[in-house]
Amino acid sequence: MRQTWTSLRKPWRTFWDAHSTLRRALYPLIWLPTGIVFTQFFYTVKSVSGRSMQPTLNPDTSPWRDLVLFDRFSIRTLRKYERGDIVALASPIDSKLLVKRIVALGGDTVKTLPPHPDAEVRIPPGHVWVEGDEPFHSEDSNTFGPVPLALIDSKLIWIVWPQQRFGPLLTPSEPDPKAPRGPSWRLEKAAMERAQWRNSRVTTVQQRLSPPDELDTEVVV
Amino acid sequence: MSGSRLANAARTFARRIRDNPDEVLNLATRVAKSSALATLHVVNAVCVAHLFANHVGWINMVDGPSMLPTMSVSGEWVLENKMIKPQNVQRGDLVTYLSPLDPSRIVCKRVVGLPGDIICVDPTGELAPSTEHVIIPRNHVWLSGDNAAMSRDSRVYGPVSMALIKGKLVARVWPLSRITVFRNNFDYID
Repeated sequence: MRQTWTSLRKPWRTFWDAHSTLRRALYPLIWLPTGIVFTQFFYTVKSVSGRSMQPTLNPDTSPWRDLVLFDRFSIRTLRKYERGDIVALASPIDSKLLVKRIVALGGDTVKTLPPHPDAEVRIPPGHVWVEGDEPFHSEDSNTFGPVPLALIDSKLIWIVWPQQRFGPLLTPSEPDPKAPRGPSWRLEKAAMERAQWRNSRVTTVQQRLSPPDELDTEVVV
Repeated sequence: MSGSRLANAARTFARRIRDNPDEVLNLATRVAKSSALATLHVVNAVCVAHLFANHVGWINMVDGPSMLPTMSVSGEWVLENKMIKPQNVQRGDLVTYLSPLDPSRIVCKRVVGLPGDIICVDPTGELAPSTEHVIIPRNHVWLSGDNAAMSRDSRVYGPVSMALIKGKLVARVWPLSRITVFRNNFDYID
């Protein structure tokens, strides 16, 4: 056993001693696991495709796909879900990753948009209502209903590219009425109006934490 | 005797520090650097274990009454296979998934219905009228605990999206007297 081990180890050693450049080039790869776990638990950069979040993401004026920074820490570890957050979630109907905005949380009542059969929906506990900012090019809760919180993967916090929109994602606020009314002012105003319209369709309730139920066979990790 | 030896050694060491402080500084730097690197290697090894546990498989403890009599309430360890495609689960498989009610819990239930199946929500009529039937939508499964009386499952929260399924139970490995490979023993009645 020991002999086989040494006989295997020797050519391995001689190989790496002979190719020091290769060794130096490949050495950083041993830190790959740490890097992957960092992206799984903290931050990750992804590009957004599709027009369902227009005009917040991928606006028509931009020739590129948006490159954005997602925060997994506040979702996976802190479990902070708020109305108005843009999140990445696995689609319940084909498991692909979607980028949508949280409109309502568990317990809220939402006025739905056309594809949905009911006029109003009460969100069950542990679920959220997600919608795209562009209601007509979006496959969202209006087609598949409320989604469980466990499908939410990460939260969008920063736009990395294109450069003119580089910066954190801000919550929309009323633009200064005295400022000159240029295109950026109008964009800000439109974003504010969309947020108000979104909020007007939701009847919120104070969140109640339900006591943990013991009727599960839980896998303790 | 040994005390004077120790004192001697200390004196020699003190002299060495006094005579060539650079060498000592170098030594301290080297020790600090190598211990930092060692810590990083340990962190890296933990990350490797985490990735293995999350994407290949691991032995986990299961806990709770909902899977009686297949699994007892506590103290059992099971081997979990994470290299599965949720699209390929079969009726009768034991799967683990993130609870649709609480995202921080991973729970284990049995697959009863696949997309397209028509399922009677609760034949006993306790949680829903016994005449209520649902068609399972695309990419969803119907999950149910073996101990129906003490289980929160699809009868409560409806069909579960396959995106929530994380793994499949392969075998029970502890206690040794109850080692079992979980075979799919689903019976079809014609």
